[in-house]
Amino acid sequence: MFGYNLTFESPLWLLLLAVVPVLWWASLRSLAGLGRVRRVMALLLRSIVLLVLIAALADAQLVRTTDRLTVIYLVDQSDSIPVATREQMIEYVKRSWERHRDVQRGDRGAVVVFGRDADVEIGPIADDPPLYGSIETFVSGEFTNLEAAMKMAIALYPEDTAKRVVILTDGNENMGNARRQAARLAAAGVSIDVVPVFTEQQVDVAVEKVTIPADVRRGQPFELRVVLNNNAPPGSGPVTGTLQITRQGSGDAEVIAESRVELPPGKTAITPDVPERIDDPDFYTYEAIFRADQDGIDLQSRNNRAKTFTHVKGRGQVLLIEDADHPGEFGPLVDALKQENILVNVKSTRELFTSLAELQRYDSVVLANVPRVSENATESFTDEQIDMLVRNTQQMGAGLVMIGGPSAFGLGGWANTELEKAMPVDFRIANTKIALVGALCLIMHAGEMANGNYWQERIAKLSIETLGREDYCGLIHYDGGQKNRGNDWLWSRNGRGMLKVGGRRQMMLGRIGRMTPGDMPEFDPGLQMAAKEFAKLTEPAHKHMIIISDGDPTQASGAILRKLANAKVKITTVGVGTHGPADSRELTRIARATGGKYYNVKNAKALPRIYQREVRRLAKSLEFLEPKGLQPQIVSDHEIVRGIEAPPPITGFVLTQRKESPLVDVAMVSPKPADESNTTLLASWTYGLGRTVALTTDAGARWANSWTGWDDYQKQFSQIVRWSMRPIDESESMLVSTDVEDGKVKVVITAWDEDEQFANSLDLGGSVVDPELKERGLKIEQTAPGRYEGEFDADDAGGYFITINPGDGRGVIRKGVSVPYSSEYRERESNLSLLKELAERVPEGGAPGRYIEDTTGGGMESLLEVDVFRHDLPKARSNQGIWHLLLFVGSCVFFGDVFIRRVHVGFGWLTPLMVRARDFVLRREPTPQASETMARLRSRKAEVTDHIEQRKSTTRFEPAADEPVDLDTLSATETSTPRAEPQSPEKRSLTPEEQSEEEDYTSRLLKAKKDVWKGKTPPGQN
Amino acid sequence: MRERFANSRSWGLRRGQPRANPLGRAPSRRGVSRSLCLWAIVFVVILGAWIGRVGARNTPPSEGRLEQTWGDRGLEDGRLQKPRAAAVDSHDRIHLVDMSARLQVFDRNGKLLRPPVRTPEFRYGKPTGLSIGPDDHLLVADTHYARVLVYSPEGELLPERTIGGTRGQGPGEFGLVTDAVVDSAGNVYVAERGDLDRIQKFSPQGEFLRQWGSHGDGPGQFRRPQNLAIDEQDRIWVVDACNHRIQVFDGEGELLQMWGSYGTDLGRLSYPYDLVVTDEAVYVCEFGNHRVQKFTHDGVSLGVWGEAGHGNDQLHNPWALVRDSRQRLYVIDTNHHRVHRVHF
Repeated sequence: MFGYNLTFESPLWLLLLAVVPVLWWASLRSLAGLGRVRRVMALLLRSIVLLVLIAALADAQLVRTTDRLTVIYLVDQSDSIPVATREQMIEYVKRSWERHRDVQRGDRGAVVVFGRDADVEIGPIADDPPLYGSIETFVSGEFTNLEAAMKMAIALYPEDTAKRVVILTDGNENMGNARRQAARLAAAGVSIDVVPVFTEQQVDVAVEKVTIPADVRRGQPFELRVVLNNNAPPGSGPVTGTLQITRQGSGDAEVIAESRVELPPGKTAITPDVPERIDDPDFYTYEAIFRADQDGIDLQSRNNRAKTFTHVKGRGQVLLIEDADHPGEFGPLVDALKQENILVNVKSTRELFTSLAELQRYDSVVLANVPRVSENATESFTDEQIDMLVRNTQQMGAGLVMIGGPSAFGLGGWANTELEKAMPVDFRIANTKIALVGALCLIMHAGEMANGNYWQERIAKLSIETLGREDYCGLIHYDGGQKNRGNDWLWSRNGRGMLKVGGRRQMMLGRIGRMTPGDMPEFDPGLQMAAKEFAKLTEPAHKHMIIISDGDPTQASGAILRKLANAKVKITTVGVGTHGPADSRELTRIARATGGKYYNVKNAKALPRIYQREVRRLAKSLEFLEPKGLQPQIVSDHEIVRGIEAPPPITGFVLTQRKESPLVDVAMVSPKPADESNTTLLASWTYGLGRTVALTTDAGARWANSWTGWDDYQKQFSQIVRWSMRPIDESESMLVSTDVEDGKVKVVITAWDEDEQFANSLDLGGSVVDPELKERGLKIEQTAPGRYEGEFDADDAGGYFITINPGDGRGVIRKGVSVPYSSEYRERESNLSLLKELAERVPEGGAPGRYIEDTTGGGMESLLEVDVFRHDLPKARSNQGIWHLLLFVGSCVFFGDVFIRRVHVGFGWLTPLMVRARDFVLRREPTPQASETMARLRSRKAEVTDHIEQRKSTTRFEPAADEPVDLDTLSATETSTPRAEPQSPEKRSLTPEEQSEEEDYTSRLLKAKKDVWKGKTPPGQN
Repeated sequence: MRERFANSRSWGLRRGQPRANPLGRAPSRRGVSRSLCLWAIVFVVILGAWIGRVGARNTPPSEGRLEQTWGDRGLEDGRLQKPRAAAVDSHDRIHLVDMSARLQVFDRNGKLLRPPVRTPEFRYGKPTGLSIGPDDHLLVADTHYARVLVYSPEGELLPERTIGGTRGQGPGEFGLVTDAVVDSAGNVYVAERGDLDRIQKFSPQGEFLRQWGSHGDGPGQFRRPQNLAIDEQDRIWVVDACNHRIQVFDGEGELLQMWGSYGTDLGRLSYPYDLVVTDEAVYVCEFGNHRVQKFTHDGVSLGVWGEAGHGNDQLHNPWALVRDSRQRLYVIDTNHHRVHRVHF
């Protein structure tokens, strides 16, 4: 009815309908006194209440059916399709949408683009397509992930429409499973039309792999081989070009071979004339690059290079990273390690590693007083680099040592990072008596910044995640409200806008997710709010503000800036997308006036880095200084302090919180502060396959000056570094080889025992770190005597690092393998069988999709003849739960039931009304009712008078003469009789009859009293 | 009798029944009256305060009447993305500029009349002021490029008529240009904010004539002069947004009038961003109070239209206000990406 139907989601509850007859039976008896009409009404209402409740329990749904259709175009943007073809695909989408969409019916269209991932180019709109020749959404074209696009589509569909996807692709799927997802689409009633995209076969040369032997030994020549594939259409000639092979060790890359090659169609293996030889132990990367002589002949250039890795074992190496702002700070330490025969490679934060492969030559990495973000915010460790350091330890078994100083641990902004997790101490401390409290206030003004809200949210979330529990945090945004001239605190309690993070962290994060800061006209009100709030906070030792703005608001007044400066509040201003010097000047002025800094950010992505730099100001309280000196105490016999005599006093260290894990070994502590969990000077533990060490004081540059003259200085630091270093398997009892084939990497291990016999039944563990720095499991099984094999998928192009753990305390074996390019650059022909299969899927209740191809040779016009907005699908149904509505109706009807039972509504007024209406309509003289009414009134009065008289006579007090009367009762009766209202004599005069009646009554009462007194004998006389 | 009374259930006080009193005494009649009086006074005070509050908010009732709302969010032609400035030409065509730096022309009902044009540069920021000059030429305050662009009625940029373009504090140089208006003699007045909050006057040929104003809250000073208007007597009306007031100058920069102060009540202003001056009244668009307020020329409030909210007739940070030849106001409801046509 009216396009709506009713269904029930939980129909089992409808069994309760059996209760309705019971209700009737019970109610008919209990409501017997109501009269027939009211009883029926009450029964009816009760039944309705019950039915409504049962319907609500059964989850009644209102189902609406419509003709509307939504078509989502899934457009392949992967690199296997040439750019020109992609443009044609967009043109097809635009024209077919405009031509076939039924405007009257309200059909909608949408566009999803996909490559490695899928993203929405145009959401479902009932309008013409806003497409202007090119796609604005960026998706990585390295893969084709049709499944992701289908998933995205199904999430986009509005509920109240029929659904169809139109897929434009070459079908070369190399990520996900489109067939599986198509089945789900069909089950959800989504029709699938497919427009196959054909790519012309063209010459394409690919460097498939570079191979070297698995057992490369120092000084021994070996053969290096490059496999190239000329994927050419039949009848093509050879392709000529140059093949260059480079080798990269710890220094610059060097060209080891360069030659002109001629590649006939098919595969060609090329070996340099001179065998390769490695003289210095190191981790080496070989790369082969092919360049065709003729421009444009090679279809893809991204598949023209391939890499391989090899590791020639030798002495252990250590990478020491120092702060670029303080070069040479750890000179004494480096010298000491070198004297202990440890190879140390010193690098500054300006020349940081960029890949996990670069770390492979080192057995330990030392972070020597290095901040996460440098003082001027130009150098920083990215999250990826921190991940690499941690994976290098956790999965690859390398050591990681962090040495203190004012830029390390919590002071260096390392709190809340993966690195903190890897260390034996936490960088934020729980003891509020020691840690000075900080307060941070953020003012958000996104203005015209691109993605302003996103970046502001990100900064705000970072701040809350990074601040300690005892720190205060507040956030002011412009919401256009009536208070504070439109500015407001994002969270507040009891009138306070800056709250302790404490247990409110989740609440604060949640609020930030809902923040939509408006365009703040001026800074002053926000600054005033902040100043007022900072004035209330006496606890925080550091007060800081960060204003993120495009510099657009009106100038801040000098008075408020002076007020903040006097309150020792420092303001850091961050100009994002500022409109030039004029706006920067205002932000600079605010920062300077309060002793803060101004950052001009050209790219909003730099904001987190600036924030991390700024939050270090709040962490200043973690610096524990004692100029009189602190005597370190050795409290363990761990091998890193074995044989070490009492170290000389130090003057400071960075406060940390010891991790509550039995694996943590604290070797050296400070006598202060009192809480021993914060006294750690030297601690270590094993993290994954590697080991990490935390030394919270420095190595002699600042706080441990006296250590440089210490006899055990060299011994102490060499023991720390040596303990952390990755153990080396000297036995050479295993050989690991890898092979990349069809997106999979096969790992083959050959193992011998001490007698040079094949080692069998070994329990080998393995793990892989992929190019995204994610860990993948590697299952290794024995396949032959001494031979073990494992395999893993290598979908992504890049370096994969394999770690084999032989157990028995032996050092891990590492191997790197490079996947040169994804299969996206290997597939050449369209996968039509997959596409046809997708189109043949039959959606539930509808007709199968169409395989739209140009059969007539008419080009795009021919493709456009197929109406993708056709209606061969069942009508869309949209459900809407109405249990809440039913409950409301039920409660209203229940009220009606109570009303019917408790209130008697008379209808006596109806008859006279009808009579009067009749008289009025028929123009009759009204029937004289008055006399009759008066007669009725008189008769009623007479009745009432008689009744009163009768009551008077029956209640009149006429005691019998011989009846004894209790005087106490009598007097009590007199006093308890409700007192009559005082009446004035003028208003109330007694009639003679009443007087005589009253006199009679009084005289009778007195008489009775006298009688009682007469007849009463004193007690004891009976 | 006593038993009957004790057994009966009593609901509330009965007439004549003594009230339970912790002192064991019935209160005197005078005491009852006094407490009743006190309660009555408290009630009256609370009621009065409530009425006063509500009244302050709502009275006098809005005189405006919403005729039509048009505009949808989007980047396609005809849609709006945070429109921030508007102007109406002699043919009652509504010119709008939004956060995509598109200049779009609509008819009174929101129909797009021609394809949009974009300002030449907009990477550093978008225009925030529009007005109509002689012969229906459109003056665009290209805020972040320190200049005033002039477009022909057909939407063609006339580079030779551009005013400014140099960032600075000297004559003819600008900070953030907010608006430009032309008087009956063809003189152009340009308002700016940033380092200097001032108004500069140029001859019809574009020569610098004079300037006045500075940053501050004294008479003749400005804090964000967001928009200008010219009346029949060639007086220059300035919305001094962050001082929450209106200032009126003659063509020589002499301050003639100044009224307005911050507040949310009737007659007060919160971030006035634009104004329309007619012979009878001054209409002020309040960014902070999300409303349009009508004043006499002396600053006496005559009523408001609009309130904060997200309903059909509610506003969210309106930036601009214009009026057509039929005396209908167009309120640019910036954060709702739409335009309200109001009879007020």
